Amino acid sequence: MDASVNMAVNLGGLEMKNPVTTASGTFAAGREYDDFFDVSLLGAVTTKGVSLDGWQGNDSPRIAETPAGMLNSIGLQNPGVKALCEGDLTWLATKDVPVIVNVSGHSFEEYAAVIEALEADGRADAYEVNVSCPNVDAGGMTIGTDPASVESVVSLCRSKTRKPLIVKLSPNVTDVAEIARAAVAGGADAVSLINTLLGMAIDARTRTPKLARVVGGLSGPAVKPVALRMVWQVSQAVDVPVLGMGGICTGEDAVEFMLAGATAVAVGTANFVNPCSCAQVIEGIRAYCVEQGVSDVNELVGGLKC
Amino acid sequence: MSRAQSLIDEACTVKGNVQVGPGLYIVTLCAPGIARTVQPGQFVHMLVPGMEAHVLRRPFSVYQADAAAGTFDVLYQVVGFGTDVMTRLEPGAVMQAIGPIGTGWQVPEEGGVLLVGGGVGAAPLFMFAQQLAAAGRDVKVVLGAQTKDALVTYDDYCALEGASVVPATDDGSFGHAGFCTAPAQEAIESGSYPNVAVCGPEPLMKIVSRLALDAQCSCQVSLERRMACGIGACLSCVVDTVEGKKRACVDGPVFDASLVVW
Ligand SMILES: Cc1cc2nc3c(=O)[nH]c(=O)nc-3n(C[C@H](O)[C@H](O)[C@H](O)COP(=O)(O)OP(=O)(O)OC[C@H]3O[C@@H](n4cnc5c(N)ncnc54)[C@H](O)[C@@H]3O)c2cc1C
Ligand SMILES: Cc1cc2nc3c(=O)[nH]c(=O)nc-3n(C[C@H](O)[C@H](O)[C@H](O)COP(=O)(O)O)c2cc1C
Ligand code: FES
Repeated sequence: MDASVNMAVNLGGLEMKNPVTTASGTFAAGREYDDFFDVSLLGAVTTKGVSLDGWQGNDSPRIAETPAGMLNSIGLQNPGVKALCEGDLTWLATKDVPVIVNVSGHSFEEYAAVIEALEADGRADAYEVNVSCPNVDAGGMTIGTDPASVESVVSLCRSKTRKPLIVKLSPNVTDVAEIARAAVAGGADAVSLINTLLGMAIDARTRTPKLARVVGGLSGPAVKPVALRMVWQVSQAVDVPVLGMGGICTGEDAVEFMLAGATAVAVGTANFVNPCSCAQVIEGIRAYCVEQGVSDVNELVGGLKC
Repeated sequence: MSRAQSLIDEACTVKGNVQVGPGLYIVTLCAPGIARTVQPGQFVHMLVPGMEAHVLRRPFSVYQADAAAGTFDVLYQVVGFGTDVMTRLEPGAVMQAIGPIGTGWQVPEEGGVLLVGGGVGAAPLFMFAQQLAAAGRDVKVVLGAQTKDALVTYDDYCALEGASVVPATDDGSFGHAGFCTAPAQEAIESGSYPNVAVCGPEPLMKIVSRLALDAQCSCQVSLERRMACGIGACLSCVVDTVEGKKRACVDGPVFDASLVVW
């Protein structure tokens, strides 16, 4: 380990000792991964999406393997914000790591209520607002595809907290930069992307969909080129820092996201392949910096030459 | 919720990989950490080398473990890309396996135990049978397979002291002719086996647990779900139960059949 590289970054007010966090929903709150590496090594832990009273999620089968990735339709199953505070946040408090709580809601009010509950608890260090859930206030559509809805829900969340507010963008849009600008107009301190790409898998033998919900979200190495393109577009469109993700498996993948404009990165599907992925990505970034004579990881951000 | 046992991601060296029946293989892996701690009914989540763009791990039950030798065996059936790649693993090959994972079989407090294994479902029951036989319990094992050649666990079960083994083949080439549900039903209705444990195709598990529960027997089932993380974090693998959704990987794979909503 080379201590001479400064690995610390600031993500919209959130101080991280290195640029690596976990992609929401792939790491629970970290307890399951603590057997494999000390989660305190992370720049931050991002928890599974939480709603106010909890959701049951979708029927099984919920996943399907696809070329260089997977589809999921977990459906944001979660036990609700009270259970998160009692269980996961209490466990995370024993760890020396900042906590980003990923927030979901079926109505604008629900997002606000979740953040209020977390403010009362006080132990979240930042929020990541997932605007990729179907929402009644967006006419049953995903909020994240409509700039006006994004701005509304973000400003409502903004009014509830002064902590760093990260808005997680959906890639299932024509112009992601427009959505990012709406999030910033609503008061976002940072944006994160990409969430999963809507996809589908079919079993030709049985002529049935591989997921009970028919469609699901694509993640893993397969989405990396799309994610890199979107991170690059968004980082040029807005002034707030970007948390980049989508298919990151190695330190070099992470560096590519930083060169495209990300200040920090999240590791998702790779955790399923190798439970030590996050720790290896951190070391991989450090090794890249040492090899390239980079003394501060922030020098990489937006360093793409083109 | 705290877990009693911690998990490891162990580098396992292939010691042997042999075909034992039609599309059926046993791979022997040297992995002392897992071999010495695995409990009956637990599984490993394997990162098979040479999987190209197939990124996920594959879950497999531990068939037998030899703590002294530091090895364990997996009995697998070729059903797709990953299991086909596995047939070409040579001795010396190394692969990572997370284990030992999950909540396995619970030893019933008293009375005889009927084990029903359909196809490769016989694999996760074997260590349980060993455990029960070693404790001197009355064990009956009903094993079902399509053909005699596919009844690959029969000899191992027969070698267990005190276990009576009833084979069944769909084509009638060995033992009872027809599905193993008939001899299972007979054993349940005999009243000598107040405890049942079953693993195999889901329709078999459903029928046997219905028969067992109707006869006031306790019944455990080992369920399969597609798994991403395999360690309880991603909620890919949920099973519907009367207590809500549970994770097959860590809350199971073995469940009390009376709680499962089929
Ligand atoms: C707890 C548990 C224990 C198991 N134990 C055994 C065993 O001892 N012997 C054995 O032969 N098989 C066992 N299986 C089933 C085994 O995991 C699958 O046969 C295997 O994953 C198929 O992989 P594939 O690449 O050949 O098939 P593909 O169809 O190419 O796999 C595609 C995807 O679907 C998943 N998948 C396919 N079939 C199953 C299945 N039945 N259950 C769960 N996931 C599946 C794969 O893991 C992969 O993610 C077990 C499954 C579970 C959940
Ligand atoms: C199983 C699974 C569950 C997920 N759950 C959530 C979630 O609860 N909230 C959220 O904002 N994103 C969720 N995501 C999306 C990831 O956080 C991430 O944006 C996406 O998977 C792309 O990164 P990756 O390719 O590294 O996995 C989930 C992804 C997966 C695979
Ligand atoms: S496979 Fe991830 S929770 Fe079971």
